[in-house]
Amino acid sequence: MEQYLGTTERWFITPLVLMFLAMIIYLLLRKLGWKARAATGFALVSPWLIGFIIFTAFPLIYSLYLSFTNYSLFGTPKWIGLNNYIYIFTNDYEFWPSVRLTLLYATFTVPIGVIGSLMIAMLLNNRIKGIGAFRTIYYLPAVMPDVAVALIWRWLFNSQSGLINYVISPFLKIFHIGKIDWFGDPKYVLWAFIIMSVWGIFGTNTVVFLAGLQGVPRSLYEVAELDGANSWIKFWKITIPQISPVILLQVVMGIISALQIFTVAMFVRPTTGAGIFMNQLIYNRGFTQLHMGQASAIAWVLFVIILAFTLLVFKSTPAWVHYEGEIKR
Amino acid sequence: MVDILHMYKKSNKVRNITKKTILYIVLSAIAIVILMPFFWMLSTALKSNADIFAWPPDFFPKPALWGNFAKAWHAMPFNIYLINSIFIVVLGMVAEITSETLVAYGFARFKFPGRDLIFFILLSTMMLPFHVTLIPTYLIWQKLGLVGQFDPLVIRAWTAWGPFYIFLLRQFLMGIPFELDEAAEIDGATPLQTFVHVILPQIKPALLAICVFTFRGYWNDFLGPVLYLNDMNKYTMTLGMYFFMGGVNEQPSWNYLMAMSIVIALPMLVLFFIAQRYFIEGITFTGLKD
Repeated sequence: MEQYLGTTERWFITPLVLMFLAMIIYLLLRKLGWKARAATGFALVSPWLIGFIIFTAFPLIYSLYLSFTNYSLFGTPKWIGLNNYIYIFTNDYEFWPSVRLTLLYATFTVPIGVIGSLMIAMLLNNRIKGIGAFRTIYYLPAVMPDVAVALIWRWLFNSQSGLINYVISPFLKIFHIGKIDWFGDPKYVLWAFIIMSVWGIFGTNTVVFLAGLQGVPRSLYEVAELDGANSWIKFWKITIPQISPVILLQVVMGIISALQIFTVAMFVRPTTGAGIFMNQLIYNRGFTQLHMGQASAIAWVLFVIILAFTLLVFKSTPAWVHYEGEIKR
Repeated sequence: MVDILHMYKKSNKVRNITKKTILYIVLSAIAIVILMPFFWMLSTALKSNADIFAWPPDFFPKPALWGNFAKAWHAMPFNIYLINSIFIVVLGMVAEITSETLVAYGFARFKFPGRDLIFFILLSTMMLPFHVTLIPTYLIWQKLGLVGQFDPLVIRAWTAWGPFYIFLLRQFLMGIPFELDEAAEIDGATPLQTFVHVILPQIKPALLAICVFTFRGYWNDFLGPVLYLNDMNKYTMTLGMYFFMGGVNEQPSWNYLMAMSIVIALPMLVLFFIAQRYFIEGITFTGLKD
C-alpha cells in the first residue's frame, strides 16, 4: 500500500503548486500592466511553460553538455571535448550499423505508410454497404499495444515454426533457401521490421486521410466532371492538392516516429548481430553500460538527423502543399 | 432513342456492379491480411506446448486449451502488475488531460504577447526525440530521490507533456464561436466558469479521443517503467511482459505469451469499441484541412 501513498500525495500537491505559481504569474503580469484576459491566458499556459523549462529545455542543454563529457552516473562528469563524437564516428562498431538500420527503416516505412494508407483511405471512402465494418477492421491494428504487436510479429516471423515461413515455403523451395531467421539475420531484419510496421501504420494514417478525403468539396469534382476530366486527372488535380496538408502532416509525423522506433524493437529483441536501432543503442549505452556521455552524443546525432529531415520536408512544401485561400504565384 | 438510353443505363448499371464487386473483393482480401495476425495470436494462445512447434503449423488448436490464459496469468505476479498499471494510468490520465485542456484553452481563446512564439516552440518539441532528454531527466528524478517510485511516470503529466494533444484540443477549441464566451462574460461568468459550463461540453468528442490515446500511452509505456521502476512489486503489465519473455537466448512459451498479449490488448480493444464513434470523429474534427 505504501508504495502508492507517497506518489499519490505528491500527485495531489503538484497541481496545487502549479496553480499557486500560475496565480503569482497572473498577479505579476497585472502589475506590469497586462490586460486581465492576456494575463489569464499566459497563466493558463504557464504549467506547460514550467514543464518545458524543467523537463525539456534544461535537459536538452544538459545532454549536449554531457555529450562532451565522460560520465557514468556516479561521480561528476569529466570534460573530454569531442572525444565521444570521435569515438562513435570512428571506433564504434555498433554506431554506423544502427544509423544505417534506422535510416533505411524510415526511408522505406514512411513512403510505404503514407502512399499505402492513402490508397486504402480512398477504398474506404466509397459509400457502400458494410463499409463501417471494414473501417473498424482496418483500424484494429492501430489500437493494439506495442507489446502485443511486437510479440505477434516475432511469433509470425519465428524461424522454426512461424506462420510466415510456412506460407512462403513453396517459394523458399524454388530458390533453395532454408527457413528464414527473420529477426536474427541482418539480411532480413529490416524487411521484417518494415512489414510489421506497415501492418500497424495503416490504421491511424488511414483514418486521418479518410477525414481529409471527406473534407474535399464535392463541387470541385462535379465541375471537373463537367469539363470531362477522368478519375486519373481528378485524383492528381483535385484530390492530391486538396489533401496535401494532410500528406505533409503524415510525412512529418511518420519520419519523427519511424526514426524513434524503440518499444517494439525492444520486445522483438533482434539479436545484436542482426542489428539494433539508434534508440536501442542509446538506451544500452546509457543505462546498461553506463556510458552517459556516449549515449548523449548518439542521442544528439539522432536529434540532428530528425531535425534535418523535418526541415528538408518543410523546405519542400511550397512546391507541393496547397493551402486553401493561398494566392498562387 | 428510348432504347439506346435504356441500354446506356443498363450498361452503366453493369459497370457499377462490377466496380462494387471488385471493391468488395479487394477490401475483403486486405481485411483478411489485417486479421490474420489476430487469428494466429488467438489460435496459438489456445495450443499446447507441443502443438505450437508443429510443422506444418496447425491452423486450429486441438483441443482448445482455454486454461492457458489462467496459467499464463499466474506464471508471474500479474495481479500486482495490473494494480500498478491501473494506478499509473488513472493518475497519469487525470493529470494529463486536465492540464492539457487548460493549456489548450489558454492558447485557443486568449490573446497575449508571445503566444504564437510559445505555441510554435510547443509544436517544435514534437520533433525532439524523447531519448535526447532522457539522461538529464533521469538525473533530475535521481536528485529528487524519486527513482524507484511511480513519480517520474505520473507527476510530469501535470505539466501538459503531450504537445500533440494540446494541438488537437486547440484546433477543436478554435472552432467554437467566440460569441459563446462573450455572452457568458457579459452574464458575469469568470474565465473558469466559462470554461467549465460553456467550453467543456463543446469539446467532449476531442476529450474522449484523447482519453483513448492517453490510456494507450500509459498502458503501453515501456521506457518509463524500465528506467524508473526497479522493484518487482512496482512493475507494470508492460514491464512484466518484458520479463515474462525470458532471457535473450531462451525460446519463450509462445502459447502463454500470445495469451498474455491478448490480455494486455483487451482493455484497448474494449475501450476502442466503446469510444469508436467519438474516437474517429475526434480525429476527423481536428481541422487538419486548414
